[in-house]
Amino acid sequence: MAEQDAPQAHQILDSDGEPSSDRPWIIRTYSGHSSPKASNELYRSNLAKGQTGLSIAFDLPTQCGYDSDDAIARPEIGKVGVPINSLDDMHLLFDEIPVEQMNTSMTINGTAMWLLALYVGVARERGVELSELQGTTQNDLIKEYLARGTYIYPPEHSLRLIAEMYEFCLDEIPKWNASNICSYHLQEAGATPTQELAFALANAISLLDLIKERGEFTDEQFERAVGRISFFVNAGIRFVEEMCKMRAFGELWDEYTRERFGVENEKYRRFRYGVQVNSLGLTEAQPENNAWRILIETLGVTLSRDARARAVQLPAWNEALSLPRPWDQQWSLRFQQILAFETDLLEYPDLFEGSVVVRSKVDELKRDAREEIDRILGMGGVIPAIESGYMKSALVRSMSERIAAINTGDQIVVGLNRWTEGLPSPLLGGEDGGIFTLDESAARDAIASVERTRAERDPERAAAAVEALKAAARDGSSMMEPSIECALARVTTGEWAGALREVFGEYRPATGVDGQQLSLAGDRVDALRERIGRLADQLGHRPRIVVGKPGLDGHSNGAEVIAVSARHVGFDVIYSGIRLSPDEIVLSAVEEDADVIGASVLSGSHLELAEQLFEQLAAHGASDRIDVVVGGIIPPGDVEKLRGMGVQRVFTPSDYELIDIMESIVDLVEARVEGAVAS
Amino acid sequence: MSDTTDELVERARSLDKGSVARLISRFEDRRPHMAEHRAEVLAALDGAGVAPTGTIIGVTGTPGSGKSTLLSRLTVDLLSDDDSRSIAVLAVDPSSQVSGGALLGDRTRMRYLPDERRLFFRSQASESDLGGLGPSTFQVCRLLTRLFDCVMIETVGIGQSEADIRHLADRVYLVLQPLGGDEVQFLKAGIIEVPDAFILNKCDEPSSSASYHQLRASMWLARPFDEEAPPIFRTSALTGEGLDELEADLIARIDTIGGAGLREREPYFFGRWVDDEWGRHGVGVLRERFGGAERFLADHGGYETAQAAFADEVLRQP
Ligand code: B12
Ligand SMILES: Nc1nc2c(ncn2[C@@H]2O[C@H](COP(=O)(O)OP(=O)(O)O)[C@@H](O)[C@H]2O)c(=O)[nH]1
Ligand SMILES: [Mg+2]
Repeated sequence: MAEQDAPQAHQILDSDGEPSSDRPWIIRTYSGHSSPKASNELYRSNLAKGQTGLSIAFDLPTQCGYDSDDAIARPEIGKVGVPINSLDDMHLLFDEIPVEQMNTSMTINGTAMWLLALYVGVARERGVELSELQGTTQNDLIKEYLARGTYIYPPEHSLRLIAEMYEFCLDEIPKWNASNICSYHLQEAGATPTQELAFALANAISLLDLIKERGEFTDEQFERAVGRISFFVNAGIRFVEEMCKMRAFGELWDEYTRERFGVENEKYRRFRYGVQVNSLGLTEAQPENNAWRILIETLGVTLSRDARARAVQLPAWNEALSLPRPWDQQWSLRFQQILAFETDLLEYPDLFEGSVVVRSKVDELKRDAREEIDRILGMGGVIPAIESGYMKSALVRSMSERIAAINTGDQIVVGLNRWTEGLPSPLLGGEDGGIFTLDESAARDAIASVERTRAERDPERAAAAVEALKAAARDGSSMMEPSIECALARVTTGEWAGALREVFGEYRPATGVDGQQLSLAGDRVDALRERIGRLADQLGHRPRIVVGKPGLDGHSNGAEVIAVSARHVGFDVIYSGIRLSPDEIVLSAVEEDADVIGASVLSGSHLELAEQLFEQLAAHGASDRIDVVVGGIIPPGDVEKLRGMGVQRVFTPSDYELIDIMESIVDLVEARVEGAVAS
Repeated sequence: MSDTTDELVERARSLDKGSVARLISRFEDRRPHMAEHRAEVLAALDGAGVAPTGTIIGVTGTPGSGKSTLLSRLTVDLLSDDDSRSIAVLAVDPSSQVSGGALLGDRTRMRYLPDERRLFFRSQASESDLGGLGPSTFQVCRLLTRLFDCVMIETVGIGQSEADIRHLADRVYLVLQPLGGDEVQFLKAGIIEVPDAFILNKCDEPSSSASYHQLRASMWLARPFDEEAPPIFRTSALTGEGLDELEADLIARIDTIGGAGLREREPYFFGRWVDDEWGRHGVGVLRERFGGAERFLADHGGYETAQAAFADEVLRQP
């Protein structure tokens, strides 16, 4: 071989030993809203722009297992994703999209089996072979209990549903990822890199333990099933550590699958993962800065070949303002394309191989993660660690620490707590203010659609399909085929989930806020405690606040932090977790004789929900006794509307200073007490 | 806003949520002048012939043993068992010693029945970081036993604060979970002597059978003088297993006890109130100058007047 032909360390070689380069990762945009028809148009236009996979966002009723015409669904229809009520809607969603050529990722959990059944239904009615289908149902309920909130059933039953999907897919839809173990959402709920590693891996290990224990697979099948486990990971702004975290993930997974599960084939031990980069750190203040954050975060999961993501989806610069508009998504998409196709990134082998620094950091992460994994497995796996609230408390603690560090300035967030002066952003200057607004007709269409399906279907076939589903749920046989029959029989989303609710019951996990501390001290905290002490003397009780999460919104971070802060300054706090109806929240406040209701809404349904809160307060004759404040993603145009309804204060992500918020609430209570004294 | 006491009492008697809630606040309010308002409320109730006949049930045990989950099921079952029955739940949680605030989280486990007046839920802060009863739990019971057939009190039980629940409740259940390391501590701490009955919850868990036998065995050691070993109910608040027996036991108490015993408990809680307000000094005054709570109450005609009188006495002290 001639000297210049010798393989060089900076070259990637193909199977013939020729220099080559890698194929880019799958480039996706997470999207969906309003209606199946509107989302279908959006997907087709994204595909035309060069996107190579679909990533579907469903609305909250679909995710939580309610039909669009259910009372609880009304405020949320089509807001944060597409409503899917039946196979008819699913056909519309994929109209003119060749499912056999798509890699389709569905962010669906509590109703994952149902959505897979609907996808299979589309394929069957179009005559597409199931073996051609490719994609993922997210279907990780552990992280739903911990961070994301669209769980329905108790853990044991949720895990059975997941296991049955693996059992079905392995040979029927071999290219389908029945679930995606998610650490993404854990970081969004405050997890440190170690917690992300440990919780996700403990989750995957517990799932495999269960699948093995169920005994449905031969050893050979089990080994392939291990190979089907894929992950969905986060990448934060500390991008060097994040890159090391990805390497640690890969090495640990290889080790656990070999040591614990005896997987021989190296291919099945590979850590396959997709990424969405961190959104928690994206700010409402100076939102244009978010573009740089997104770019840097993407480097963490693409730079190192050995730990590169297989699929990447990016948030947009206006993440903290509203859902992205098509242009915002396009801007993020273009960045991925530039990185993958303009730069030379994909031409090199791993850049960090042999780095002493990286090796040492990876080892540290692995060591810490193993310790935590051992602890969780020692409790009996993730189910006991969910039920006891152990994992949730750990996340709330991390989140409280993170927010406290931003409050004290120990953690710098440019434009938020440092260098806050700046020129006005031209990105916010357009007619729409840089904010996405929904077409109001979506709700009506969705309701009409589910009514039409119910009217046109064969009622006996539908009823029989639901009965068969319940029978399977009760007798322990697989619910997958009965679910497909439900899909074909035009059973609706609410009926499918309702049938299983009847058999399995519903679940409310621990809130994790008990016993949490907040490391904020100083004169202002002391002064506030004193004011609250005085208020307690005037009121005859310590001021009481009900922190409420009305509706189906699962964003709990804000409510948790507010609950912990309120207790920290001396309120008595009633917090009962997410997904309560406005009726339930008002009932709590009335029975507790609370002074304030603080509602946190990030799902875009704040106007409808606030209206319902006030209706209920009036029904209890409590309107003038209880003040209402609201926080969350509230577009500027809606602030006045809320005030008009009677909301006393509105807080948004820019209000990051917890003590400011608490002072403002104490001002309110004081004003009311003084008003009462004066009158 | 300016409802008269009579109006509030009238509406509370029909279990209107807001009115019951506001009356409870008066009974929680420890400012001296509130004694008068309480007396007014009690007089209005007495005038209407409403006696404190509700049974008080105490449910105590370590955090996480399943008290709230159990109560959420028991209350729903007891309400559907008898459609004239009414229940108030009072859930007491520890307060922060630093800020004074408390996180009241027991509602998380409750089933909401928004249109059901027969079920009322109220949280209370213990004002101590150990749990146990709050300083006004007794006061609130004086009201609630007049409005509801049954008052169920959930408290975190750690150590001696448990003596309080024994004095307040007509029957105390101690909830344990299988084989917790905590449980052993619990038995050692002498808590085993407090309850009238034990509930070994989470019997859906595999280790529960072993725990049951362990508990049985330690019962003989800890309570050698009991004529009859106290009952141990084995339940699962998740699957519903064993709830029938427990409910039968509860119903038998609710239907027979009737809480006429609150008067007898006044001296104890008067003493506790003095301790809360004035500490050792107050307790000394009560004992040495007035011959103890029982005498003081007898000499001052009624709890409210006695509170006012005692406050005057202590304050007059140099
Ligand atoms: C973290 C996050 C998540 C996490 C949530 C983790 C958790 N357990 O909370 C995860 C990854 C699970 C998640 C999921 C989803 N998310 Co999200 N998420 C975010 C994100 C990035 C940050 C929110 C956050 O936690 N901030 C930190 C907390 C502390 O701040 P905060 O909530 O704003 O609260 C502060 C103030 O607002 C105020 N406040 C808030 N509430 C209250 C209440 C009171 C009483 C008071 C006084 C003050 C107050 O004080 C707080 C302290 O500063 C936002 C975008 C952003 N950057 O804001 C999107 C965002 C909220 N998510 C969004 C969406 C669409 C979703 C999904 C619905 C997507 C889908 N289709 O499935 C899912 C489903 C979640 C569900 N079940 O509802 C949208 C909402 C769009 C809209 N409203 O129109 C946003 C805006 C992103 C976007 N641009 O698309 N999300
Ligand atoms: N397996 C099992 N878990 C239970 C049972 N009862 C309660 N739990 C769980 O134990 C945890 C604590 O319950 P909770 O009622 O809040 O306990 P409390 O602190 O005693 O009020 C929750 O996760 C419950 O779901 C039971 O009978 N079996
Ligand atoms: Mg409890």
